[in-house]
Amino acid sequence: MIGNDIVDLAQASVDSNWKRKGFLDKIFNLEEQFMISSGIHQSVIVWLLWSMKESAYKIYSREAKLREFAPLKLQCSNLIIHDNTATGNVAYDNELYYTKSFFDENYIHTVAAAKPEELEKVEIKITGHALFDYKKTKPASVSHHGAYLALVYL
Amino acid sequence: MDRAELIARLTPIIATYAQDKDAVASINETTDFIKDLKINSANLVDVILDVEEEFDIEIDNLSMERMLNVSAALEIIEDKLKTK
Repeated sequence: MIGNDIVDLAQASVDSNWKRKGFLDKIFNLEEQFMISSGIHQSVIVWLLWSMKESAYKIYSREAKLREFAPLKLQCSNLIIHDNTATGNVAYDNELYYTKSFFDENYIHTVAAAKPEELEKVEIKITGHALFDYKKTKPASVSHHGAYLALVYL
Repeated sequence: MDRAELIARLTPIIATYAQDKDAVASINETTDFIKDLKINSANLVDVILDVEEEFDIEIDNLSMERMLNVSAALEIIEDKLKTK
């Protein structure tokens, strides 16, 4: 099973002030906050970790048929960042998910999977918001934010 | 503080982040923050921080987990106001 999440960075900067007092404490544990504060591009790391948590949560909530807002229970680890890609893990209760992200100056996109081999198989399509009737193409996971629509096929 | 007063103080907070402004006009206890008001999940944190400021309470992580609709929010606020 897979989940995906896209963050339109321009939209995120309009909608959210992550520097607001208390904001990071409600979402990120100390280790994650250290990853944010030790990087040069802090805002990229904030939304990268956020998209990791969101994409993993989408798998978990679908499997457990459960809704909750518990960003601190989703714990990111093993984050490795290359030029504009990243890999990592997200733990949630007793589950462990594998993530693969891409980012540039416009957006951050993460795919999470329950099995690492699923990440190798996915086909990703990122496009403008609802330009076509994407439901007919039967994506395994859909995410939209701001100007972007992300479709992932398995 | 009765429920009507609580809703009156809660409404402007959630209205700030609701993307479906029509749904704000018909807010009631069953209104869901994400499904009905289309509040994006990052802004749920802002709702929680604003509620903490407005009512001078602290919302713990366990309460935050279930604060996804108006009725849960009211219960949590009432509960925290009682133990203040």
